[in-house]
Amino acid sequence: MEARPPAELGDEELVALAQKSSREAFEVLVERYKQKAYRVAFDFTRDREEAKDLSQEAFLRAFSHLKRFDLRASFYTWLYRILVNLCLDYGRRRGRISLEPWDSKVEQDSSLNGAVDRTPSSPDQKAIASETAREIGKALAALSPKQRTAFLLKNHEGLSIREIAEIMRTAEGTVKAHLHRAVTALRRSLAGFAERVIP
Amino acid sequence: MTKRLQEACKEWGEDLVLYYYGECRDAERSRVERHLEACASCRQLVEDLRALLPGTVRPDDPPQRFWQDYSRELRRKLDAQEEKGLGWKDSLFWLRPWPVVSMATAAVLILALTLTFGRGKWRPQKFLMPDESVLEILPMAENAEFFRAMELLDSLDLLEAAPGLGNGPTRDGGAA
Repeated sequence: MEARPPAELGDEELVALAQKSSREAFEVLVERYKQKAYRVAFDFTRDREEAKDLSQEAFLRAFSHLKRFDLRASFYTWLYRILVNLCLDYGRRRGRISLEPWDSKVEQDSSLNGAVDRTPSSPDQKAIASETAREIGKALAALSPKQRTAFLLKNHEGLSIREIAEIMRTAEGTVKAHLHRAVTALRRSLAGFAERVIP
Repeated sequence: MTKRLQEACKEWGEDLVLYYYGECRDAERSRVERHLEACASCRQLVEDLRALLPGTVRPDDPPQRFWQDYSRELRRKLDAQEEKGLGWKDSLFWLRPWPVVSMATAAVLILALTLTFGRGKWRPQKFLMPDESVLEILPMAENAEFFRAMELLDSLDLLEAAPGLGNGPTRDGGAA
C-alpha cells in the first residue's frame, strides 16, 4: 500500500512520526495549528510580534518535549496548554495586558454590538468606538488570569468546557465558575460604561 | 445592551452563561428556557450577553506575507534548537538514563562479587585503633600518676618543714 503524504495524516499519526524524529511530520503540525496558536497568543497579548514569538516558542517547546507526550490528550490541547502557560508568564512579566492595540485597531474593527454602530462613521461614533475598545481592554485586564484564560478560550476560540478544563488542568466545574465570574465582571463593567457614555 | 444593569437571579447565573454558550444538555436547556419565560431580569442578562460578548472578540488578521515569514522563521529556530540540542545531549551523554543505570548496575555487581569472593582474603588492618589509643593513653596516665605522686611528696616536705609538725627542725635547733 502506498504511504499517504504527511499533510493527509491525522494528528496522532503525525505525532507518532515526529516522535521518531520526523521534522517533516512536525512541520505539518505547525502548518495545521500555527494560525490558531497565533490567534490565542494574540488574544492574550494584543501585540502581533509578541503573539508571533509566543506561539513560535510554544511550537519549539512542543518539539523538544514531543517524546514525552503520551497522546492521552490531543496534540492541540497539549500545544494550547504550553501556549497558555507561556502567555500567562508573559502577562506576569508585563504586569498587565496592553490596552493600546485595542485603541489603535478600533477604527478597522467592529465595536460592541448594540452599544454602538459596527462601522463608526461620524467623529462621535468613532470616539465612542474608541472608548468602548479601551473599556473592553480594561475589563479583560481586570480579570484574574484564570478567569481571563477561561473566557478567552471559550468566547474567542470557541473551545468546549471539557477542552478548556484539559488545557487548564482543572475540573469542568471550576472552568464553569471562572467563566461565569468573568462574564459577570465584563457585563458589569461594560454596562457601567454604557451608562456613562451612551446618551 | 441595556444601559441599566439588571441583576439576574443569583442561582441561575452560571446556567445562563452556559446556556448562552450552548453548553447545556437538552434537559438543562429546557429548564433554563422555562425559567427565562418567567423571569424578565434573567432574560435581560441573556440579551446583554448576546449584545456584548461577540463585540469583545477582535482577532488579528495578518497578511499572507506574515505567515510565510512565520513558517520560515520557525523552521530556522527549529534548526537552531536541533543543533543546540544535539551538542547539549552529547556533552551530557553520561547523564542519560541508560548509562547511569548500567553504570550503577555494574558498580553493584562488582561490589557483590568482591564481598562474596574476597571474604577471608582481606583482613581488616586498620581496626587497631582501640589498642593504639590505649597505648597512647597509658603513658599519659602513668605520667599523671607520677606527677600526682610528686605533688604528694612536695606536700609532705612542706608538712615536714612546718614548725611544730613532723620531723622539721625545732626553734631551739634540736630535732623534734
